[in-house]
Amino acid sequence: MTDFRPTILAFCCNWCSYAGADLAGVSRLQMPPNVHVIRVMCSASVKPEYVLKALSQGIDGVLVLGCHIGDCHYMTGNHRTAKRMPLVQKVLKETGIDEKRMKLDWVSAAEGEKFQKVITDFVQDIQKLGPNPLREVKF
Amino acid sequence: MSKKVVVIGGGIAGIQASLDLADMGYEVHLVERSPSIGGRMAQLDKTFPTNDCSLCILSPKMIMCAGHENVKLHVYSEVVGISGEFPDLKVTIKEKARFVNISKCTGCGDCMAKCPVKIPNEFEEKLSKRKAIYLPFPQAVPRKVTIDAEHCTMIKSGKCGVCKKVCQAGAIEYDQTDSTVVLDASAVVVATGFDLADVTVLSQYGLGICKDVVTSLQLERILSASGPTGGHLVRASDGKEPKKLGFVQCVGSRDEKMYKYCSSVCCMYATKESILAREHVPDINSTIFYMDMRATGKGFQEFVQRAEKNYGVRYIRSRPANVQPANGGSGVLVTYETRGLAGEQVTEEFDMLVLCPALVPSNGAPDLAKLLRIELDDDRFLRTPSLRHPVDSSKKGILVCGFAGAPMDIPDSVAQASGVAARVAELLEGGA
Amino acid sequence: MARIGVFICHCGHNIASTVNVEEVAEFAKTLPEVVVADHNLYSCSEEGLGSIKKSIEKNKLDRVVVAACTPRTHEPLFRKTVELAGINKYQFEFVNIREHVSWIHTKEPKSATEKAKKLVAMGVAKAALLEPQKEGESNVIPTAVVIGGGIAGLTAAASLVAQNIDTHLIEAESRLGGNLADIEVVGPEFRRSEELLDMLTKELKASPKAHVHMSSKVTDVKGFVGNFEVTIDKAGKTEKIPAGAIIVATGAKEWTPDGEYGYGTVPGAITQLDLEKRLAKGERPKRVVFIQCVGSRQPGREYCSRVCCNASLKNALRILESSPDATVSILHRDIMSSGTVSEHIYRLASEKGVRFMRYGLDRPAKVSRTQNGTVVKVFDETLDEDIDLDTDLVVLATPMVAREDSRDVGKLLKVPLDKFGFFLEAHVKLRPVEFATDGIFLCGAARWPGSVNECISQGMAAAAKAAIPIRRGKVVIEAITAQSDIDKCAACGNCVIACPYEAIEIVASEGKRYAKVNETQCKGCGTCVAACPNDAMQQRGFTTRQLGAMIDALVKSAMEETP
Repeated sequence: MTDFRPTILAFCCNWCSYAGADLAGVSRLQMPPNVHVIRVMCSASVKPEYVLKALSQGIDGVLVLGCHIGDCHYMTGNHRTAKRMPLVQKVLKETGIDEKRMKLDWVSAAEGEKFQKVITDFVQDIQKLGPNPLREVKF
Repeated sequence: MSKKVVVIGGGIAGIQASLDLADMGYEVHLVERSPSIGGRMAQLDKTFPTNDCSLCILSPKMIMCAGHENVKLHVYSEVVGISGEFPDLKVTIKEKARFVNISKCTGCGDCMAKCPVKIPNEFEEKLSKRKAIYLPFPQAVPRKVTIDAEHCTMIKSGKCGVCKKVCQAGAIEYDQTDSTVVLDASAVVVATGFDLADVTVLSQYGLGICKDVVTSLQLERILSASGPTGGHLVRASDGKEPKKLGFVQCVGSRDEKMYKYCSSVCCMYATKESILAREHVPDINSTIFYMDMRATGKGFQEFVQRAEKNYGVRYIRSRPANVQPANGGSGVLVTYETRGLAGEQVTEEFDMLVLCPALVPSNGAPDLAKLLRIELDDDRFLRTPSLRHPVDSSKKGILVCGFAGAPMDIPDSVAQASGVAARVAELLEGGA
Repeated sequence: MARIGVFICHCGHNIASTVNVEEVAEFAKTLPEVVVADHNLYSCSEEGLGSIKKSIEKNKLDRVVVAACTPRTHEPLFRKTVELAGINKYQFEFVNIREHVSWIHTKEPKSATEKAKKLVAMGVAKAALLEPQKEGESNVIPTAVVIGGGIAGLTAAASLVAQNIDTHLIEAESRLGGNLADIEVVGPEFRRSEELLDMLTKELKASPKAHVHMSSKVTDVKGFVGNFEVTIDKAGKTEKIPAGAIIVATGAKEWTPDGEYGYGTVPGAITQLDLEKRLAKGERPKRVVFIQCVGSRQPGREYCSRVCCNASLKNALRILESSPDATVSILHRDIMSSGTVSEHIYRLASEKGVRFMRYGLDRPAKVSRTQNGTVVKVFDETLDEDIDLDTDLVVLATPMVAREDSRDVGKLLKVPLDKFGFFLEAHVKLRPVEFATDGIFLCGAARWPGSVNECISQGMAAAAKAAIPIRRGKVVIEAITAQSDIDKCAACGNCVIACPYEAIEIVASEGKRYAKVNETQCKGCGTCVAACPNDAMQQRGFTTRQLGAMIDALVKSAMEETP
């Protein structure tokens, strides 16, 4: 399955992880081209429905990246994200979707290298899991 | 009165003062001598006591400042003349030639990749090299390159010209000259910040002698993810990770023979750096040699306690007498005396040593003070004689904020910068 | 049907060297509701912007998508550009294909191009659903209220009136000056605080813009930035003050020991403020022992109160100035004389013969009564010895602590306090005199113990911040705020709890209860959106439909490829 090219969605918050992704770019840190970023203002605004929608429609993996705890531009936003995302993973598990297809991580605006690592590692993890079985299902 | 304000110095204090003044509706001219605003804060990895990433909190302010409709940035520029009296001052600004057309340059970086000249990188505290055509740092604002005339082969001897060849935007202009802007200003704010004292002269601490002795600012660059080692804490002699890190406080500070005053922020930043070091190298052990542990701000005392309890930082109240190279050049041997009447001389080996030098007013400040005809105090900081108006310099209409006036940390600099904005408004609106 | 124009940027060869820009533009033409797709060498250049404007006019576009660098740099520039060409600036979408594509996949141009196409498809899908937005505006009442008439509050009020801003200063006591009124001199030059306070009081008296309310307390605060209503009570009489901004300058108080160190039992065991009052009366004791860190830097109150070392040093020097043969000792754990002036006082005190003795938290000093007076027993860490100090006065340098009414003030204004009861600013580093709640500011010891100099700077800083919305006359709100759909909303209150800015409340309209967002308080984070179980709460510019469409677009492109 090493030829498998996953399609991955990443929600990045404007103040930290999106800026960290920008820095990775500015620093020319190379990474696999499988991840597509949706910019949001705060990781706390990422609804569980988005993750479920993406995975149920065949996206192979979803990343939610926010500011480090304590650094949230909106003070407490990422605390909610921290509580919410593990619950989403539980729901995934219950519905039979491998919960490893979703990952929550924290990337600050100065962590270009961390962004590169998070992306590279996640793409590899998803490659190991193989294509999302729901790719074949048409609702 | 023109109600225009000139702010000299584009560090966090200058940026904050500019933002507040601009928000109040004044036309602000922010003059910064380097090609980018940001100052010292841009060089820091994280800031105490919350250890949030310095550039992350600085960048939005830099971008807001540069993009503010009421702010005109004059980077790579210096104030070279002033005449008149408050509120009718005439300020002359020299905009140094950058040999790059700002409106055409897109900050793409092709020129930097091809430039053959390498120079010690000031932003990286000389730990790495930059090109003659350069961006001071990746997140520079404005994101436009500059040719350093002093080191550019083309400017000096008419040979090379590679950058012009590769620039697709046609932004290179070797025939640029310095230009002058004369402004009618009603007030001037001086926010010129600080430098690190050159403590190589204190040879007993080994800076410049022992390979593995660095300054605190050099350590910041080493710890920074975008720094010369990509954020890997390694020592210079052999590129290995240090497992025993030492910090020496008050190098040249609180010193009868050098700088008598206390630089205010070093106890806290050394504590911060020792915590960060553990985050980089999980089995590192840090020791801080200090005189008094000055942690008086909000959350500061807890920060120090955390460092001691959770990060294994050893605080030793002692002033090292001597630092020697160890092991054929790798690591150092620090000799110090333990406390109390039963104190004895100890020599301990460290893999790497960080010196916290005296923080002194920026090297351009004394000349600027002369130009502006404002006084310096006994420590060569800008004098603010009034109790009622502590941001006023010795001359009406010229104000001081941040480290230029006295050693202070980021929150105090930011607060004082806003205070300066209020003072300018008082002067311009009320004629107080 | 939208009319979308898509513009792909070469960015010189920064994008074009990896991403096939022309191919992406051709692909964009096939996307739904796209009427024109073009590419530019440098979209942000005068040329590039000009061509976008021309295309908008020529093709009667109502939305624009630009695929180029990071929006974090140029979004405002492009928004302004499309606005000039007649498009609502919120109907512009920026797609990042440089930092997020061309610069990070340089060895895989084919994949990079495919990824760029997917991102453009997502951007177009969102753009199609973008609604025109109007930035809200709120008028600002041109009045400021300063709560607290100590040095910070006085300075803030004086600064505001000097800026010609109508200001009400509310002081609970019958005299102005707070703690400073009890301190005769400040600083190494022993400047008289009375002179400073007089200057400030005169400035306020002289200005028609200043309204000072003595013996008054704030009993209620309603409203939001630009439109506050502050209710004060003065001896039973109520007054409502409309205000655009509020400054909290309520100060702090000196902690008095609960019998520790002989306070209350041993004659001569007094606090620093007690000493200040005695010195002001002209008393000059011959033997004084200062004990630093009494009640601070210990479990339960871990912080250092910042100002006590300098106060003791100053008072030590005063005593020695009048009686050079006085015996003055300072027992300390560290001397916190940071900076220039303070460090010089420390050195001077030492030169003038003050004896500094370092003690440890584990072996605190003991104060007891003797036949002849008072003795302080301390274990000196430098000498490794117990020392007995016969003395007349034992000055206990205690910390500044939060006032008991801080919590009430906090509740009235809906602003937070830290664990020690000091008010919590918006951002410790970059917003030290602001609360997270817009329009309310903070200065002085209410925030944290500070020197006179620091309190003055902060007072002025708070005045600057308060002056900004007042001088602007209006508050503009970026149109990325949240709003709830009254029909879908079940008034469950999740969003109310989730909002970090307390910007949402449950209201009733025509019998239906729903969550109403205060646009002026809302910061556009979207936390409420994810907290809403009914999809009732939406964030402008980041609606469920818009993000859902982006996901659909990605899914569509992904399914069309073979993985």
